[in-house]
Amino acid sequence: MQFQSQAVAKPYFIAAIGLFIGQILFGLIIGTQYVIGDFLFPEIPFNVARMVHTNLLIVWLLFGFMGAAYYLVPEEAERELFSPKLAIALFWIFLVAGALTIVGYLAVPYATLAAVTGNDLLPTMGREFLEQPTITKMGIVVVALAFLFNIGMTIIAGRKTVINIVLLTGLTGLAVLFLFSFYNPINLVLDKMFWWWVVHLWVEGVWELIMGAILAFVLIRLTGVDREVIEKWLYVIIAMALITGIIGTGHHYYWIGTPEYWQWWGSIFSALEPIPFFMMTVFAFTMVNRRRKEHPNKAATLWALGTAVMAFLGAGVWGFLHTLAPVNFYTHGSQITAAHGHMAFYGAYVLVVITMISYAWPHLQHNAPASNGRAQLLEMWSFWLMTVSIVFITLFLTGAGILQVYLQRVSDTPLPFMVVQDKIALFYWLRLWTGVIFFVGLCLYVYSFFAKGKETLASS
Amino acid sequence: MSTSRLIRPCTAVWLLLVILTGVTYLVGQAGLSGMAVVAFVLITTLFKSQMVVDHFMGLKRARPFWRGLLFGYLLIVCGMIGVAYYVGLTH
Amino acid sequence: MDTPLHDDTGALPGDFAIWIFIFAELLVFGVFFLAYAFARANNVELFNESQLQLDRISGAANTLVLITSSYFVVRAVAAIRDDDSRRCVHWLAAAIGMGSVFLVIKMFEFADKFSAGISLSTNTFFMFYLSLTFFHFMHVILGMVILAAVLFKARSGGYSAASHIGVETGASYWHMVDLVWLILFPLVYVIH
Repeated sequence: MQFQSQAVAKPYFIAAIGLFIGQILFGLIIGTQYVIGDFLFPEIPFNVARMVHTNLLIVWLLFGFMGAAYYLVPEEAERELFSPKLAIALFWIFLVAGALTIVGYLAVPYATLAAVTGNDLLPTMGREFLEQPTITKMGIVVVALAFLFNIGMTIIAGRKTVINIVLLTGLTGLAVLFLFSFYNPINLVLDKMFWWWVVHLWVEGVWELIMGAILAFVLIRLTGVDREVIEKWLYVIIAMALITGIIGTGHHYYWIGTPEYWQWWGSIFSALEPIPFFMMTVFAFTMVNRRRKEHPNKAATLWALGTAVMAFLGAGVWGFLHTLAPVNFYTHGSQITAAHGHMAFYGAYVLVVITMISYAWPHLQHNAPASNGRAQLLEMWSFWLMTVSIVFITLFLTGAGILQVYLQRVSDTPLPFMVVQDKIALFYWLRLWTGVIFFVGLCLYVYSFFAKGKETLASS
Repeated sequence: MSTSRLIRPCTAVWLLLVILTGVTYLVGQAGLSGMAVVAFVLITTLFKSQMVVDHFMGLKRARPFWRGLLFGYLLIVCGMIGVAYYVGLTH
Repeated sequence: MDTPLHDDTGALPGDFAIWIFIFAELLVFGVFFLAYAFARANNVELFNESQLQLDRISGAANTLVLITSSYFVVRAVAAIRDDDSRRCVHWLAAAIGMGSVFLVIKMFEFADKFSAGISLSTNTFFMFYLSLTFFHFMHVILGMVILAAVLFKARSGGYSAASHIGVETGASYWHMVDLVWLILFPLVYVIH
């Protein structure tokens, strides 16, 4: 660790992993409810568990991004963080607000939560992924602004690198686009249109900038390749990500009441969204092959390469599968979407945050470039367990999705939704057990933080 | 580019491109259509584009792979446009 | 007289990164062109009829404008290879000037279509016509910005015969903008 203030990243990373565990537990609950409908009913209904599953994902990724920024920005800017105290204060505010929100989801009916939190005054609740009470949303905005101020001041006063600028742009975009969650027009078409400005332009727009910046940062450190080379790649990748991603929003506008040309715009541009992800894969492997040093943190390299490959598969290939309007006409909102969602979020964002943690943690905890060999071995095992699990979860959901689409929509004698769900239950069972293996991988990952190396064991 | 020559090679290329653009325009003005005409227009386009690639972008002096890659791209695009036109005729 | 440094290696002119970008852009345009071509195959009459409303003279004029501007950029690269920054700047300025002419002609064309009540929702042909030409329009602007950046650096003596990758980089991008228009013009304005 080059700067003392980088240490503020530590609680953020811990919180991220803690919430990650919660997310997977709720994933297992809804996975079970898919096949045993009244599991945990009425305590935790499916819709609530699903909301907790997705909201926890977003919140822990945000914790991860913020942690990554607090670690990365001072090192890139070559100066201490503007205000470490502010960073710690924000951490607690965000954590408590997040925890209260989750407790609210679980403890009272959603309508009650809406009433209690004054949703009537400024209605923003009730939309998928944006379920948070309005006051929580305001809290998120305040935290985001203060966070941007903190790292912005650091960057302005320090060395301005491409990585820092791209990261700051991505984070600013994240905050600005979130403001659309407060815009809740009565007209359902407009509502959906702007809803995607948050949802799509986050994950297929500005988050890609954050991801690119983090990956570039880690790869510079791990491979020793010239900064100029990596920055050039970063430029090209983010340019492509923005061109395809922004207009690619159109692939959500096919059937919601927007003009027909969106079917063309959406199809063409989103069909090209795999390009930046493909470039990211080529980029990561090229950099690692051209490495000028052998970094002792092998695990971090594995996570970084895994990010590039899995992001391409999950976001790129599985996104392409159902992005063309004529295909999407049948697959819209089916298990194909769920398959894509799982692999894309894991591949692109879960892995990039873990890559950052894996790289930064030894510096933060041991003041060493890498953890001991045993801890790294465990990390690598957890990588393979989680990654292979997510691949199989994706394949099972894809199988379920293809059957579902055929039986329910394409077939000459379409079957009702629930009948089809029964017929594809086998896939849901397989998905559930694979989810359990994923959880084992996650436990192994957590354990790797506490694993002592042989040398340390001997000395103690 | 040798100064001893009457006209620079790139100027000659420019002139050729201008003339061919004029030809394409006239084909459009004359309202000509049909597979043969479209084939002519597409081959002209392919030739013009490759001139830009070779002489303006300067890929004539680059590794043949890159030139081939761009030629392949242009061939596929122009070729598929021709195929699409043919499909339209038979509809 | 000119033995440019980068030509002997057989590498692509300019920075390799711009070429990755160029290839990606060509792919985008290629997909867009073929989408047009095959959408047309299913609506031949509609496309032929609507195409009659296009201003082919503007299209042809703009083709000439872009070809010429590309030619100016070639001259700018040749100038810097002769270590003549001043001439390089002049040619670049001329190329950017031609870019502006393109934009002006195009804007008249757009204004004409909009005043005729044509929009993206008029029909599939006009959806493609407006989308393709507008998308290309944005690329002309981007290309001009890149050329302008090169121009300013050249003016402050930032390039020389020995070191002018930046000029070649900007030139390559600009030629790409020209290249796609060379296909767009016959495809959208002429073939029917």
